[in-house]
Amino acid sequence: MGMKCEVETCENEATVHLTEIREGKKHEMHLCERCASEKGLPGKSHFSISDLLHGIASQAQAQSQKSKRTRETACPNCGATLSQFQSSGRFGCPECYVTFKDDVQGLVEKIHDSSQHVGKVPRRVSSEISLQKDIRQLQLDLKKAVKREDYEKAAAIRDQIHQLEEQIKLRESAAATPPAAPALPKPERAEKTEKPEEGNPGPKPGGKKKGHSESEGK
Amino acid sequence: MALNDMIKSSGEWMRGTGPEAEIVISSRVRLARNIRGYRFITKMDAAERGACEALIHQQIQNAKIIQNGMYLQLHKVEGLDRKFLVERHLISKEHEDAQYQRGVAIGDNEAIAIMVNEEDHIRLQVLQSGFQLQEAWKICSKVDDDLEQHLDYSFSPQLGYLTACPTNVGTGMRVSVMLHLPALVLTRHIEKVFQAVAKMNLAVRGLYGEGTEASGHFYQISNQVTLGRTEEEIVSNVEHVIPNIVRYEHNARQTLLAKDRKRLEDRVWRAYGLLKYAQMLPSDEAMMLLSMVRMGVHMGLLKDLTLRTVNELFIFTQPAHLQKLTGKELEASDRDVRRAEFVRAKLNAIKGV
Repeated sequence: MGMKCEVETCENEATVHLTEIREGKKHEMHLCERCASEKGLPGKSHFSISDLLHGIASQAQAQSQKSKRTRETACPNCGATLSQFQSSGRFGCPECYVTFKDDVQGLVEKIHDSSQHVGKVPRRVSSEISLQKDIRQLQLDLKKAVKREDYEKAAAIRDQIHQLEEQIKLRESAAATPPAAPALPKPERAEKTEKPEEGNPGPKPGGKKKGHSESEGK
Repeated sequence: MALNDMIKSSGEWMRGTGPEAEIVISSRVRLARNIRGYRFITKMDAAERGACEALIHQQIQNAKIIQNGMYLQLHKVEGLDRKFLVERHLISKEHEDAQYQRGVAIGDNEAIAIMVNEEDHIRLQVLQSGFQLQEAWKICSKVDDDLEQHLDYSFSPQLGYLTACPTNVGTGMRVSVMLHLPALVLTRHIEKVFQAVAKMNLAVRGLYGEGTEASGHFYQISNQVTLGRTEEEIVSNVEHVIPNIVRYEHNARQTLLAKDRKRLEDRVWRAYGLLKYAQMLPSDEAMMLLSMVRMGVHMGLLKDLTLRTVNELFIFTQPAHLQKLTGKELEASDRDVRRAEFVRAKLNAIKGV
């Protein structure tokens, strides 16, 4: 089982496997414990997430240099910069996922081999998504009704849409008033997805108003 | 429940019960959550951290999750007590060290712990003794549902639960199992386990998580991927690999017995002898000796000791536990003396060995 250490004069089994990303290219090394420590590498058979993060963050940095943004471009919501992210591996706020979208997309995909959440959804969000789905369907029905000049039906559908939109608004304001909390910004739409049922196509295009929390700018 | 009462028991993770408990010490599931409208912890000012901690504290109470447990504001808890909580696996080292307003809610038998204002606003964990990942996940998901009724989480339909570090984004879930693998270390097969585990995109860590050595032959196996899979898939991914490693360890123990029984017995009895008579016991040495003894008990080489006693020795000889038992802070060398005393007293109280 396993492969041989890549040092030619060595017969041991390779137990240290390193993947390094240099200038956007992947380099792999397979060494035994002894040869690895001779090369000054940690004698571990797995590399840590932070190493991976660092490698890929450098890559993200190279990418962002191509685009107009610099490492010091700040997230408008929290002031975090890409260089801060690179050194700490931590974002400053949820909005950072939008601000640095182009930089982290590759990173996220490398870590997880995916860019689409398929797990649990907070009940509040899932009911909102299904409400939005309903609204979208009704809007289609509305168009059809108008087209065939069935204005009575169209008016009824319009009222239904208003009702559902009202429900969403109520929900948001109910959720947004915890006692000791600062004013809550609009829910972040981190990414636009291709799948229509998960986007936010509703009547408010974009829907990406920036939050103004009270503590901002302190 | 009060913090000082906790020293009377060994906590959930070292209880030594549950399926496969002789090799699988504990099963753990944790979820990372952040509150919508707040920045992540590094970019919060003191007022915002305070407000966030107060809000979550309040809502944990409103959700009635921790019925007979306690909520500790860690910035008001003494250093020794915080170290004690780390040894109990109820808070992380980072949470112990942090300087700002933060807390932890601890459930009745220490099975549930909710860290507040850690790397993420909420780190919810459920610990179960032995191999019980499904059970741990069930409890964890239920608590998450209950909390979610009271708190609005930062969530994106594409990226899932948004976390401070993108390595946790998506489900925000880390599933881990603590294993005791002395025979695989002795037979030098442990590297093969690491390889197999790495191929499955899982990580191996030491006793106290990231960056810690595998002291006492304890290894923690956990998932790395948190996005693009359901929680159930992540649980079963980790769950599937464990029985193989357990079997591998069993086989290694049998090999040791069959090939070199005397040498094995010698190791176990030497470890036992040292523990029974040593006058000073540094923490690392105690862990290694206890590891041998633990294996010896399970293999029937040491008949009058129980796993439970050995598990208790593991936890109560940790530095902060020892100092809590003594009732005061001790220098390292005094701790080694006290540790040796404690172990001798425990072992000499057992008849028949």
